[in-house]
Amino acid sequence: MSGRAAGQAVNGRAPDGRAPDGLTVSGLTVTGPDGAPVVRDLDLSAARGEVLALTGPSGAGKTTVLRAVLGALPPGLTRAAGRVEWDRAPLSATRHWRRRHVGYLGQDPSSALHPLLTARAAVLEPLRALGLPRAERPARAERMLAEVGLEPAEFAGRLPHQLSGGQAQRVALARALAADPDLLILDEPTSALDPAALATAVALIRRRRAEGRSVTLVVSHDGSVVTGLADRITRLGAPPAPSAPAAPVGAVRPADRITRLGAPPAPSAPAAPVGAVRPAAAGPADAVLAADGLSLDRPDGAPLLGGVRMTVAPGEFVAVLGPSGCGKSTLLRALAGLCPVRAGRATLLGEPLPWPVRDRSVRALRALALVGQDPLAALNPARPVAAALRRPLRLLRGLDRAAASAEAERLLAAVGLPADTAHRRPAALSGGQRQRVALARALAAGPALLLADEITAALDAEAAERVLDLLDGLRRDTGLAVLAVTHDEAVAARADRVLRIDHCTINDRRKTTDVR
Amino acid sequence: MRAFRTRAAALAAGCVLVIALGGEALAGRDPIRTVAVPWAAAGPGLPLGADALGRDVLARVLAGGRELTLLALAAAAAACALGVAGGLWAGWSRSRAVRTVTALSDLLLVLPLLLVAMLAVVVLPGPSAVVAGTVLGGAPLTLRVVADATAQARHAGYVEVALARGERGLSVLCREVLPAHAGLIGADLGQRTVLAVQLTAALNVLGFGPPPPAPDWAAMLRENLPGIGLNPAALLAPAVALALLAGTVAGLSHVLAARP
Repeated sequence: MSGRAAGQAVNGRAPDGRAPDGLTVSGLTVTGPDGAPVVRDLDLSAARGEVLALTGPSGAGKTTVLRAVLGALPPGLTRAAGRVEWDRAPLSATRHWRRRHVGYLGQDPSSALHPLLTARAAVLEPLRALGLPRAERPARAERMLAEVGLEPAEFAGRLPHQLSGGQAQRVALARALAADPDLLILDEPTSALDPAALATAVALIRRRRAEGRSVTLVVSHDGSVVTGLADRITRLGAPPAPSAPAAPVGAVRPADRITRLGAPPAPSAPAAPVGAVRPAAAGPADAVLAADGLSLDRPDGAPLLGGVRMTVAPGEFVAVLGPSGCGKSTLLRALAGLCPVRAGRATLLGEPLPWPVRDRSVRALRALALVGQDPLAALNPARPVAAALRRPLRLLRGLDRAAASAEAERLLAAVGLPADTAHRRPAALSGGQRQRVALARALAAGPALLLADEITAALDAEAAERVLDLLDGLRRDTGLAVLAVTHDEAVAARADRVLRIDHCTINDRRKTTDVR
Repeated sequence: MRAFRTRAAALAAGCVLVIALGGEALAGRDPIRTVAVPWAAAGPGLPLGADALGRDVLARVLAGGRELTLLALAAAAAACALGVAGGLWAGWSRSRAVRTVTALSDLLLVLPLLLVAMLAVVVLPGPSAVVAGTVLGGAPLTLRVVADATAQARHAGYVEVALARGERGLSVLCREVLPAHAGLIGADLGQRTVLAVQLTAALNVLGFGPPPPAPDWAAMLRENLPGIGLNPAALLAPAVALALLAGTVAGLSHVLAARP
């Protein structure tokens, strides 16, 4: 069996006795269902001890390359040409090879963790393949959790839904690192991490590099992570899709997007045009949102946040920072009416805002829009993009079908996605593309306040810049206010104000340089 | 490749269903008239030989699937619809009524299916008993699967966004949760159909099906068992027909469920 021959070379030294030389990919071409190439003629190589970074705009096929290297392409994609070699032997029997030699951190950690396995059990799983004595495994798993900055006593017994986005990502990182794999593949390993956790993760990966035994392949759009870690960087180009050329960056000026977004609705729609949802009162009470004494509990009843007092003015960009697990996402979900609130009052556009979403008026529903944290689950897998965008347009703005379709196309162009995205389902989109569709859906109803939970986490620098430009334009022209949970300094740097969550409450401060 | 497999599975299931439902008209043979000596072997004009009363086996196989298939499909559809509706409700709501209903459906799972079906046969006429048995035995399984999937979808981003834009629970269930689990439900419908075919066949073998001399695959198994040495085709043909019906439907549901 050819698998056996390959297995020998994989396990030991290379046949000619020289030092094993890691991963080599040559001439890799991956084609989509219609035969169009997704990745064309790619060469990569990474010797042991090296860290290789893959960068490129979203949709360029970064994740596809990782899956092709693993020999686990999703249905619909096929490896049309090219060789993947590990220690100079072509890969076969990839499932066994992956189990013994690969640690993989997928793009969407909160979806990648098994919902019924605790953090400890998730990290234990790869240790079993390692052949470690049963008695030693739990201690090793807890040590791994401690190394990624999660106190085992507190976190080891938690299930994924009891973890925040950043904590889930760290558990997934601990799982990928647990067996000390020869080949570590990290797909956006830091997208949900706050600066402290990011530093821990980067230090861990550096230590592996220093040991010089293993190959690390990183996909990231975070320039500082890439330059800080990688020995070499491979940049993937834009996807060659002649049928659907991506709009060139900068071709759509922010101002154009705004006039297009703000186009008055069809005559059949009685609803006011975008941006017409304005505060009723003037003067200092002119805030889009004001909350006072807001207190939130964890699902298990322990207090999470207490006495939060905050206001957001029209056109303002407020960033919410804080260590992972401190309740940033819960705060946004509470404002969106999706989780119970222990105490507190809020007003939206000068009117009292009831907490449960079902008690809210259509005006309040239109005025608040939420973009969630997890781009994988943000879109319904069964519905094409166009359907997802049409629904809020029809429900909240009262457009008819044709007008909603036209408006959906404008929204896609505004977030920088080609028009043919409209007919795709989420499975055919990259993480960054999904995130932008989710943003377009949130902007569809013409909100006065956008609740944005890590909206740029899945985006490369260019796409993130575009999205932030778009939001800036909307803030200027329609008075859109943005309340953004983030750990990304580029986002925080653009904010008018930074709210820091420390010790269960919020410090509202004017913008400071002390963002980290 | 995937499209090819889907098409092949649909074609196979379609052919079997067409023959099962319209075989009598297609064949133009009389399934009731005696044409040969009992259990005559296959020969010219009788490709599958004759049965216990000297009737044409081929004609009876072609004519004998109609009622059984229709009944099984109706029973499976009823069980699946009830289970899906109950599962969506049970996964979404956390009221006391939901807990009662799920407890009752779990209780039904504990009872042996054939026992439930036999009780139903005593109380109800044959066809209704099949529907009742399939619903009582199948709907609780569907309910459990769909309730679990729905409970997980509650926390999915697309459901939260739908709630945040003011959609009501029923609208979220029908527009978001149901389409997202269409593959799961398609696979479940296939499972229920197989169960219904088996239950219908079992009850018909026991004589609760259409009265003689009407042809029926399951009844043919019973009628022709004594003549297996003389004309095995009289026993094998209806058995193969039953297996093909269940197998192609299950295969189609499997392929549909695997679609992305």
